[in-house]
Amino acid sequence: MRKLKHFFNGFQKGVKSFGDNISTIINFILLSIVYLIGVGLTSITAKIFGKHFLDIKKKKGSYWYDLNLKNKSIKEYYRQF
Amino acid sequence: MYILGISCYYHDASAALLKDGVVVAAAAEERFTRKKHDVSFPINTLNYCLKSQNISIKDIDYIGFYEKPFLKFERVLSQHLEMFPLSFKTFISSMPSWINEKIRITNTIKKKLKYKKDIFFIEHHMAHAAGSFLVSPFKKAAILAIDGVGEWTTTAYGIGEDNKINLMKEIRFPSSLGLLYSTITAYLGFEVNNSEYKIMGLSAYGLMNKEKNPYHKKLKEVIDIKDDGSYKLNMSYFVYHFADRMPSKKLCKLLDGPVRKPESKLTQRHKDIAAALQMIYEEVLFKILSYVYNETKCENIILAGGCGLNSVANGKILKNTPFKHFWAQPDPGDGGTSIGVTSYIYNTILNKKRNFILKDAFLGPEFPIESIKKFLDKNNIQYSKFKDEKELIKKTAKLIYDNKVVGWFHGKMEFGPRALGNRSILSNPCNPKARELLNSKVKHREKFRPFAPVVCKDDALKYFDCDKPVPEPTDFMLMVYPIRKEWRKKIPSVTHVDGSGRLQTIKREQNPLYYGLIKEFSKLSGIPILINTSFNIMGEPIVCTPYDAYKCMMGTGMDYLIMDRFLIKRRDNYQDMWNSEKYAKD
Repeated sequence: MRKLKHFFNGFQKGVKSFGDNISTIINFILLSIVYLIGVGLTSITAKIFGKHFLDIKKKKGSYWYDLNLKNKSIKEYYRQF
Repeated sequence: MYILGISCYYHDASAALLKDGVVVAAAAEERFTRKKHDVSFPINTLNYCLKSQNISIKDIDYIGFYEKPFLKFERVLSQHLEMFPLSFKTFISSMPSWINEKIRITNTIKKKLKYKKDIFFIEHHMAHAAGSFLVSPFKKAAILAIDGVGEWTTTAYGIGEDNKINLMKEIRFPSSLGLLYSTITAYLGFEVNNSEYKIMGLSAYGLMNKEKNPYHKKLKEVIDIKDDGSYKLNMSYFVYHFADRMPSKKLCKLLDGPVRKPESKLTQRHKDIAAALQMIYEEVLFKILSYVYNETKCENIILAGGCGLNSVANGKILKNTPFKHFWAQPDPGDGGTSIGVTSYIYNTILNKKRNFILKDAFLGPEFPIESIKKFLDKNNIQYSKFKDEKELIKKTAKLIYDNKVVGWFHGKMEFGPRALGNRSILSNPCNPKARELLNSKVKHREKFRPFAPVVCKDDALKYFDCDKPVPEPTDFMLMVYPIRKEWRKKIPSVTHVDGSGRLQTIKREQNPLYYGLIKEFSKLSGIPILINTSFNIMGEPIVCTPYDAYKCMMGTGMDYLIMDRFLIKRRDNYQDMWNSEKYAKD
């Protein structure tokens, strides 16, 4: 009985590890597709039209940006954005 | 009314509980899971918060989270879009955690806590600002929040008055003073988000002279600083916006060598780089603060965000800026945002008057004397019991005076990264060998790092060249001041190479036992100062439970442990099964 339990425990661990490996591989494939097609195409198109997503190069007289973050209506705080 | 605040998934996960405007419990998750800087959902801390008030999740009126996850996700996606195809590796490694947990925080909170009511999401830098201002002694104050990065903001300033905060301006990612500090920390071979304070300590060994330090001029190339304190990083020296590293090859070239390997020797070049970084950090900070003063015309300044832990710079703020009063909370970093979230919901969103000032950091779990006795008896631990507090103080002071290393475990655990007298290791600062003794017996840390002194508040000005009056954040070990020259040789073990000390001050009303011990020690030594270092081994979080404390003592060379009224001598007890030394790592 104990041997059987031991076997099933090991089997369960093996299946879990196999599942984890499969999900890692699938994640990698899917995320690579998303990156190359989704991120890549958007990025290239944006660069063609001169759009930048990060403010990296521009030099200015001051680097302070207006924020004006203060108390808002309660509904605004339910949002994750 | 009960409100819970949660901070997690970046670094230093924590939770806090507010009852009718008063912070009644707060702790970092790492103390329970025993994983340093644990980022995971703080379920153990949340359970502690509820248990501390004998309430269940049904009694909670609101829960708040310390950032707007979708805004942060937008910034992460912008990094990938801007840096395509260089960001491929980080995209693959970071996206699963974003998809599986970070943007599903509402589900996680509701599922793990079985919570059915509303969840508020507060902007990260507002959580920082609120966590400091709304629990501060100031009715009105200028606020500066600086850290690595929140959603988009890396630096923000504004003004707080009564229960309202207005953050007026910001500096945005990728320019970040916090990330500049972290990049040089990584370059010098130390762990990011963990060892920035080591660079601060190391800087005292370098050339603190702008003209003579060759790396000051070089490092100025990586940052464009304006007169109003605003700054921009030259991103060609950094790769953190698309890679899982921080310094670029160009930065290595600028600083005359590759990234230092963690185990290799620290040379004068490394020390000079640390000094140059600290000088630049201070220059930017003081410029920003002077600008903030001009904009707000307020004499009180609150510093929030992880950069608020730079105690060397903090100690110079009042001398180098027009501000007259300074305050920061015990954990200005991300850990402290859980308090910020609760206070912001209660005071600002629900528009309730402020009725609480954070006067001490004792917000963590405590263990009644019966439970400590039960633990000792159950594990057959040899101990003796002091008959009263007077005997406890007298005998402990004598042990410390005799150069013994004493673990000190009392009352509620401190909130924040510093041990402030309830989970501390105490030793004799007059002993010139105390530093080596502590390092060889317990801490095993880098030789260049100083140990901190604790002094009674009423004695601080006699021994330290502090601002007058002594600022309140010294209670939280957040300010470094020069030790007066005449005392430096008398307390060599807490005197850093530049003659400074990161003092903790203590008032009787904050912790009568601890205060009494220091005063008793002064009767023997003539000096009311002790070495206070955190009760942990290197690489582990500060101890939380009697078990953690006993395990820590038995695995190290600490001589005694005093838990509540019990005195435990290490040599009287069997060591093997408690050996924690093998777990010590940075």
